[in-house]
Amino acid sequence: MNAFVRAVGRGGLFALAVLRASRPTPGFLAELVREIYKIGARSLPIIAVGGAFVGLSVILLGYRALDTYGASDQVSVMLGLGLYRELAPVLTALLFIGRAGSSIAAELGLMRATDQITALGLMAIDPVAKVVAPRFWAAVICVPLLTGFFISFAILAGWFEAVHVIGLDDGTFWQAMKDAVDLGDDFLGAFLKAGVFGAIAALVASYVGFHSEPTIEGTSVATTRAVVNASLLVLMFNFVLSALMFR
Amino acid sequence: MSIRGPRLEFAVGAFLLLAMATLLVLAMASTNGRFSLGADRTYPLQARFTGIGQLRASGPVKIGGVTIGRVADIQVDPKRYDAVVTLAIDDRYRDLPADTTAGIFTSGLLGEAFVGLQPGGDPDVLKPGDEIAFTQPAVDLLQLVGKYMFSAGADKPGNDAATGGAGNGDTPAISEESRP
Repeated sequence: MNAFVRAVGRGGLFALAVLRASRPTPGFLAELVREIYKIGARSLPIIAVGGAFVGLSVILLGYRALDTYGASDQVSVMLGLGLYRELAPVLTALLFIGRAGSSIAAELGLMRATDQITALGLMAIDPVAKVVAPRFWAAVICVPLLTGFFISFAILAGWFEAVHVIGLDDGTFWQAMKDAVDLGDDFLGAFLKAGVFGAIAALVASYVGFHSEPTIEGTSVATTRAVVNASLLVLMFNFVLSALMFR
Repeated sequence: MSIRGPRLEFAVGAFLLLAMATLLVLAMASTNGRFSLGADRTYPLQARFTGIGQLRASGPVKIGGVTIGRVADIQVDPKRYDAVVTLAIDDRYRDLPADTTAGIFTSGLLGEAFVGLQPGGDPDVLKPGDEIAFTQPAVDLLQLVGKYMFSAGADKPGNDAATGGAGNGDTPAISEESRP
């Protein structure tokens, strides 16, 4: 119990240190652009493909379930609400953790193992400001944007499946979704969630990388821990946020 | 890092612009485009019902099938024990006639419950906060079916044979026993 509370405290202090170290200096902005490219733009293919296949399978599942009640033309409601409220933020965050979180942890772990972080400190450069803050803000910016890509690819793939494979009506598909998805509740809620998940993913990954054992093994342990802990935290926070936002 | 300088900036710029465009298109193509009817753009009306069925807060209020507002609140009157439903009606529909009737209906057999308004012809209009005088409670379909089944035999005892012949022989018998 004691150890758990202390771990939470260390995480909170680390988050505070990251926020305090974030200043929009030219060096920080240049680093931020590089990180957005590395963890955001380069994650686009996996998000697009992942989203498209999620859209396809949600339509298959929804058609099977709703057809029982003769309501198969409402399948786009299930797709839209399911994506915005739960699936898109969570799955985007999980894919992002697998692709970018692991690389953040490995990168920082290797910097720790090769004493680069200590060297930055010796040169009176705050290592948190130099290597952690840009990655944190890049994740907070990129995960909502990637969620947008996820949703659009899922809806396009779902539309293709529903209208051109199953043969539902095109107009009903779009109109039912438009009527069901609320711009304030569902749309903005999805991106709020995604921002929180981006922050969680980046904080956990950089924390375990930053504080890893300075050995080769320590780096691999940090990578594993980043993926496991960040994924679990995202799933838990998703439930809490859903319970708070969508009553 | 494989690319640097201007090409990196171009890649990031393209990513951000594409993402913004995607969000804009998504917001327009797949949502209802409103943040919910804001409190300042609606006015309240009240209606009393003896039963509200499956009506829930934030359910739609419709005239002729078109949504013109939301159910803001549902309370029970602590004295008269009927349900007081507060409706938030869009400000564009301010001049509803004073003899407008309100009813609770269900869209389809399994659909959501909504409040349907039927405007009358009174030249006086309902002011914000007014109560709709003429209301019609929700119809409970199952209760209706039950009543019909059990009263069919009880009302016309002479007709038992015909009802039984329709294929449900024990229904009239039960209703006979349940009579005092």
